[in-house]
Amino acid sequence: MSIELAFNSPIFLRYLVIVGGLLACAGVVLGALHLVGRNVASPLRTYRGWLVMIPIVLGTLFLGREATILGVTLLAAIGFKEFARATGLHEDWWMTGIVYLAIFALGAVSLVTDPRLGSPGWYGFFMASPVFVIALILLVPILRNHASGELQKVALTILGFIYFGWMFMHLGFLANTGNAYGYLLFLVFAVEVNDVAAYTFGRIFGRRKLRERISPNKTLAGSVGAIAVSLVLPWLLWFSFPHFSPALLVLTGLIVGIGGQLGDLVISYIKRDIGIKDMGTTIQGHGGILDRVDSMIFVAPIFFHTVRWFGGAG
Amino acid sequence: MDTWKYHPSPGIGTPVSESLRSFPREPGMLAYAIRSIAALVLRLWMRTYHRLRIEGHENLPARGSFVLVCNHTSHLDTLCLLSSVPLRRIHHCFPAAAADYFFSSLPRSAVSAILINALPFDRKARGARSLALCSALLQKDGNILILFPEGTRTTTGKMGRFRSGIGRLAAGKDLDILPCHLEGGIRAWPKGKLFPSPRRLHLRIGRARNYRHLDQGPASVRAVCADLEEGVAELGGGSS
Repeated sequence: MSIELAFNSPIFLRYLVIVGGLLACAGVVLGALHLVGRNVASPLRTYRGWLVMIPIVLGTLFLGREATILGVTLLAAIGFKEFARATGLHEDWWMTGIVYLAIFALGAVSLVTDPRLGSPGWYGFFMASPVFVIALILLVPILRNHASGELQKVALTILGFIYFGWMFMHLGFLANTGNAYGYLLFLVFAVEVNDVAAYTFGRIFGRRKLRERISPNKTLAGSVGAIAVSLVLPWLLWFSFPHFSPALLVLTGLIVGIGGQLGDLVISYIKRDIGIKDMGTTIQGHGGILDRVDSMIFVAPIFFHTVRWFGGAG
Repeated sequence: MDTWKYHPSPGIGTPVSESLRSFPREPGMLAYAIRSIAALVLRLWMRTYHRLRIEGHENLPARGSFVLVCNHTSHLDTLCLLSSVPLRRIHHCFPAAAADYFFSSLPRSAVSAILINALPFDRKARGARSLALCSALLQKDGNILILFPEGTRTTTGKMGRFRSGIGRLAAGKDLDILPCHLEGGIRAWPKGKLFPSPRRLHLRIGRARNYRHLDQGPASVRAVCADLEEGVAELGGGSS
């Protein structure tokens, strides 16, 4: 990935057209609804959020591998910060400090060249990193000679690093693959479409609740509709990964369709258990970073390994 | 198994622009790091560019909370006083700053809150509430408050009258107040000038005064103000 490659990548250019077209359409629809006299204040705020986020995401991918990995690293750090502030872990600077260090170390590990294989990104160390980070986290109570309440802190810190750091940062590691534009652009696009589809189908057909004690707004119809859309999407966007077999397209659709909603539900029950509504206020109309990337955290690592095992070339 | 108790940060729903203005501020790792680096740079700048001389360093209490009051001629006053406290206490050192000026926009709030660690002091509408904020801060151990009792920078070089706030804060309480005097500020960075010029600065820190023996009535408040005003002027050798 680089600026020059982005200019010459048909995949990148096609996504540019698709996303630009969709944004324009959504703008026109919102404008029309406004003219008819419908109240569009809330969707307009969300739309404005998209108008800020999409150029940032596309611009980062356009700048290349280093920018992409750095961007994902920063997102992981901010995401973990939101989690720490929500749980109260942020008061423990030893624990949070270790996770921040580990997240930035993972970013560096994703950037360097594999010392044995010579390929971009030190894959072996990236995958083995939880061993060392968890060991370090477990060491903290021993170093400060303190036991009361430490189990909760250790557990939250490990979850924080593994989920919001390590699992999410698989997304950045995708930038090291030969087909980086295809994978990254498809994944970001498909996960967001999956979110929007669940919301739309839920609003139109939704009656039965999906998991009413976790997230009362999600419906069965929304969930089924989103999985259906996600199953179709890889076929429509086959140009993103021309080497994929039809079976792999189905698998990809399932990973995005089911995994995306699971990621959403995970953040939902974390928030519900803590007793807060949003993880933060970073993005206007969307809540915190975690409220936006929740699905991606679940999907990115599973997609990454599926591609490694079955993806063949690229 | 008992359920875990979480302690979400109270500021979780507030946008950045608002949380910068709120006080007491939630300590943050990034803010501490930036502030520590800024404090080092500031000290270097003060020593070299302004050849800052500090007299009476030994008067600063080694522990406990205390207040530094100083004449106010320029923005350099705050920066000099910040350079005079020990580096390890920099995150517990709060210059009271006019909320209508230092917290009027997002960039200004960011500089005031993160670099300076300023306490937003509402000098117009809610003076009593701001004083209560100061009072609560000083009741905790190890905090330093920097206060300019004149309330605004002088334009003539002559020290203005002390406002009653410091008197209400100190009268009848076991609180150490250190009068300080900065010389050279008005020449180095007069009000209205964009950048300071490399003039010499001389900071004198006086002995701690304590007014626990007084009552909290208006007469005592006036007495405290007069006493501190005199103390600051004395350090400046009668002039300013």
